[in-house]
Amino acid sequence: MNVLIVEDERQLSHEIEIFLTKQGYQCDVAFTGKSASEKIYVNSYDFVLLDIGLPDYNGFNLLREAKQSGKESAFIIVTARGSTDDKITGLDLGADDYLSKPFSLLELQARMQAILRRKHGLKNNTIEINGFVLDIQNRTVSFKNNPINLTKKEFDILHYMALHKNRVITRVQLTEHIWGDVLEEDYESNYIDVHIKNLRKKLSVYGNTDFIETVRGIGYRLNMA
Amino acid sequence: MKLQVKLTFYNAIFQALIVIAIGILLPIIIQRVVYNHIDKRLHARADKMMKIIELGGLDDIIKDQECSFDQYNIFKEEYVSISPLSFMPQNFGKDSIENAERNIENEVVKHRVLSRSFLYDNQLYQIEIGEGLSTVEQLNHTINKFTLWMVVIIVLISALMNMTLVQLLLEPFNRIVTKKLKTIHHPATFVEDRIRTSTYEFSYLDQSINEMMIKIRSAFDIEREFITNVSHELLTPISILQNRIENILSDSSLPHDAAVKIVESQKTLLRLSKVIRALLYISKIENEQFLKNENADLQTVTYEVIDELEDRLLQKDIKVHKEWRNDFEMNKCNKSLIHTMLFNLVSNAIKYNKEKGEIFITGKRIDDYFLLSIKDTGIGISEDHLPHIFDRFKRFRPEDEMSYGLGLPIVRTIANFHHIRIEVSSVLNSGTEFRLFFSDTIS
Repeated sequence: MNVLIVEDERQLSHEIEIFLTKQGYQCDVAFTGKSASEKIYVNSYDFVLLDIGLPDYNGFNLLREAKQSGKESAFIIVTARGSTDDKITGLDLGADDYLSKPFSLLELQARMQAILRRKHGLKNNTIEINGFVLDIQNRTVSFKNNPINLTKKEFDILHYMALHKNRVITRVQLTEHIWGDVLEEDYESNYIDVHIKNLRKKLSVYGNTDFIETVRGIGYRLNMA
Repeated sequence: MKLQVKLTFYNAIFQALIVIAIGILLPIIIQRVVYNHIDKRLHARADKMMKIIELGGLDDIIKDQECSFDQYNIFKEEYVSISPLSFMPQNFGKDSIENAERNIENEVVKHRVLSRSFLYDNQLYQIEIGEGLSTVEQLNHTINKFTLWMVVIIVLISALMNMTLVQLLLEPFNRIVTKKLKTIHHPATFVEDRIRTSTYEFSYLDQSINEMMIKIRSAFDIEREFITNVSHELLTPISILQNRIENILSDSSLPHDAAVKIVESQKTLLRLSKVIRALLYISKIENEQFLKNENADLQTVTYEVIDELEDRLLQKDIKVHKEWRNDFEMNKCNKSLIHTMLFNLVSNAIKYNKEKGEIFITGKRIDDYFLLSIKDTGIGISEDHLPHIFDRFKRFRPEDEMSYGLGLPIVRTIANFHHIRIEVSSVLNSGTEFRLFFSDTIS
């Protein structure tokens, strides 16, 4: 998978590059709109991570040009302005998704995987963990065809941990994922812990839930072969 | 009261005063003038009589008068009488004029009477010359009536003209009010077209409004630019830090103790990021950077919010009682803002509630408003704190330790943006109720 990171903040593009490379992506970076335009024209990328606020170029124009030249790349636009107008404009121009700064790298990866699933039209869209089957399409969980009644947030948490299996996810990362869009009071709450507790309780009726591991002082990890 | 009505009203009062004044003064003036004329005539006649007496003697006149009086004085309009006086009057040689009733031919008639005393043949006489007043008084009455009607008509016409004139004069002012004051809600939508008027004051007013709005607009633009700059310059470094922390945490060689500390930093960073995002959010709403171009069914949005908070309700075992009596569709609103506003209110109702508490959500129409009430059975807010709950960064309750005190300021900003009135009442240890009043015309 080839990714082009278009970001004028070098430190930021560097961190994204480190992360995505570790996840097995081939990364290319462009610090200006001009070089991004050239790279998109010459190479073929699976993903273009595009910062809308480039100093030399309007990110939307870049997106428009790429779309007009028939590039197949999936575009995820990134903005620090965070206005809904930008979001609508970007999606109207054919962007596949939208992230506001600051965003979690895990969130970025989850969005990329969701785009891939959409693009390849995966019908059989399930993840299996220790006998528990997650149906991503219908957002349900079952164990040996017994449906398990989870709340939306509980499903989201389980799904997110499954996407990032075998790595520790901090409470902050989980909070940002399930409450990220909401500007509410708490900056630190135990909601996540309660969610996990309930999740374990509901799943343990059917099978062993040891695969959900608590990493003391840090967060949670879903262990999966 | 409208200026035009006021001006017309004052004018009418003034005109009415004129009518009353004329009504009172006119009869007096007319009477004076008439008496003046009669008196002059009486003097002239008296002088003429005296001449006749000097030339022809008194006896002739008396004789003449007596024989011809009846024939010439059928209407008792005039009379002359000469009678001897037995004493010297105080005003000898001077004429005195008075209104008096005189009996002429057995009929009492009101006269204007001039009396003059004179010496003839060493005998004192008094001559009285009278002129009847009945015709004159009738004439007076007619003139009075006529003039009064004339004045009333003139006043009415002038009042009408005044009204039209006032309307004409105030027309540019009305246009300033309707075009510039009533319809403009935001400096960005302000049109600086000048209102055409030859009245200096209105032109000055119009110009002042224009200048003010342009100043406000530039302040808005500066704020907008500031928001964009802050967004970029603060959120970008936060973004870098956040991603770097994530990369550090994913390093499996990182010692556990160090990882725990880094996770703490991640929490602090989240706090910083949330505060900045919340402040930017408030500024953006106040700067009108959100569009109000959606319709939303309030019940749907409210129930969506409750659904979204399902887990927290379950966690605290809180029961929600929903009662929705009338439908209410919000026009020209921003759905996501309304959602955020209700989310913050309902999530507060959960957060500050007791275990196994209750939340009452009621939507109903009250007169011109739609009332949405969110009532909890929670810890309540003390009376001293109640006026300050919408202030930024105010935290009163022990449960607030983990919050940054911007939840309710966001609620208020969104409510103001949509012209929604908020009332809060609270009883300590018993619960809080937020009442939102939505008006039918939101924009």
